[in-house]
Amino acid sequence: MTDPKQAKAREAEAIERAKQGDEAAFETLYNLHKRRVYSLCLRMVSNPAQAEDLAQEAFLQLFRKIGTFRGESAFSTWLHRMTVNVVLMNLRRKGLPLVSLEETLETDEESPRKELGAQDMKLTGSIDRLQLQRAIDKLPPGYKTVFVLHDVEGFEHNEIAEMVGCSIGNSKSQLHKARLKLRDQLKFMRAEKAEKT
Amino acid sequence: MNCVEAQEVLPEIIDGSPNTEFQTHLKSCPICSELVSDLQLIASEARQLADADQPADRVWVRIAAELRAEGLIREPEAVPARPVLVPNAGRSWNAWWLVPVAAALLAAGAYVIKPKPAPQVANNPATTTPQPAPQVAQEQPPAASQPAAQLAAGKNPPVVLPFPQEVANSDQNDQQFLDEMSRQAPMMRATYENQLRTVNTYIRDAEAYSRQNPWDEDAQRQVMDAHQQKSMLYQMALDHVQ
Repeated sequence: MTDPKQAKAREAEAIERAKQGDEAAFETLYNLHKRRVYSLCLRMVSNPAQAEDLAQEAFLQLFRKIGTFRGESAFSTWLHRMTVNVVLMNLRRKGLPLVSLEETLETDEESPRKELGAQDMKLTGSIDRLQLQRAIDKLPPGYKTVFVLHDVEGFEHNEIAEMVGCSIGNSKSQLHKARLKLRDQLKFMRAEKAEKT
Repeated sequence: MNCVEAQEVLPEIIDGSPNTEFQTHLKSCPICSELVSDLQLIASEARQLADADQPADRVWVRIAAELRAEGLIREPEAVPARPVLVPNAGRSWNAWWLVPVAAALLAAGAYVIKPKPAPQVANNPATTTPQPAPQVAQEQPPAASQPAAQLAAGKNPPVVLPFPQEVANSDQNDQQFLDEMSRQAPMMRATYENQLRTVNTYIRDAEAYSRQNPWDEDAQRQVMDAHQQKSMLYQMALDHVQ
């Protein structure tokens, strides 16, 4: 396993060399962060080809500005934030809602609240990663955005609210509803699988 | 607190500080307890997805091509050391012919690199000199290798046009220049000869690189710089011999 201090030093050296136009340094930075950037894009758009395009755009934007990087914040934070901006910009361009409209459209009957009191299969234990990915892919765009940013990427609600342009309360509410929908979806998948076997 | 009240406060407190009333309800309600436990499990498992996927190799290939096209990746061998021009003591002599040559050299940098207006430029004898322009056009990369963004923007690569006749005859001019220096300032001839050789190498390297990388703006600037340096060399000679 790589020592985090060594990895940081390697990254700092690569940043300085990249500022001088060194191709190998750009490649080092790309390899250090490609999984995180691509995974974020893939989770948000649920389409590998689009995710590749967005990851490419995020790295290009970063590399174009690398000369201005002074190290006040972590490089990964900088890149991470830039990737989110690229993805959100793409979603806006396509006219997809960054915050789900379902909150205002949902009737009491459709609300996750109906689950209360229901006796159904417990999720507790572990969740199959592939199933979780599939369930996230099925989330409405707005729920997906908040869920991915908070639970997958670790952004705080105040950061999400700023990035997507909603209130902190709205971000919390969307996240909660996203988790409830995922829970339903995962239970459905388990039930379906149990039926097949 | 009942189940409905618990559900109402859940989005606020599930990731925050524990609420005593809520905790008490969870202890007495297996359904709400199970719900919270499931939601927390989903949240913790989601973190595992943060770097679960790897992009295809082609993503880096495309990024590198774009960086190279934009001049952000610099090839060390493509940036030859710039010649250091040594100013020297003045001595007046009649070198009127240097004036148009220096002016032509200065113009040459701007002339050789200009946006490609249309494919017929290389084929239109009225707009080109007798130099073999089509050969230059053949050296451009195929459209498939051009950056997608620039193609989408409808940009054409810059084209290297032949020099004006004055500059095309630069070997002849250089020889005349050195002959003149031998006559008028023999002690400076070797210095100018070295400077001339250096700056000509610089021009050749910069032009070759620019032809190989027609999208590289930095390469184009190098060509401009190289010609300007040669112009300065002529100008310096002119200044101190007049």
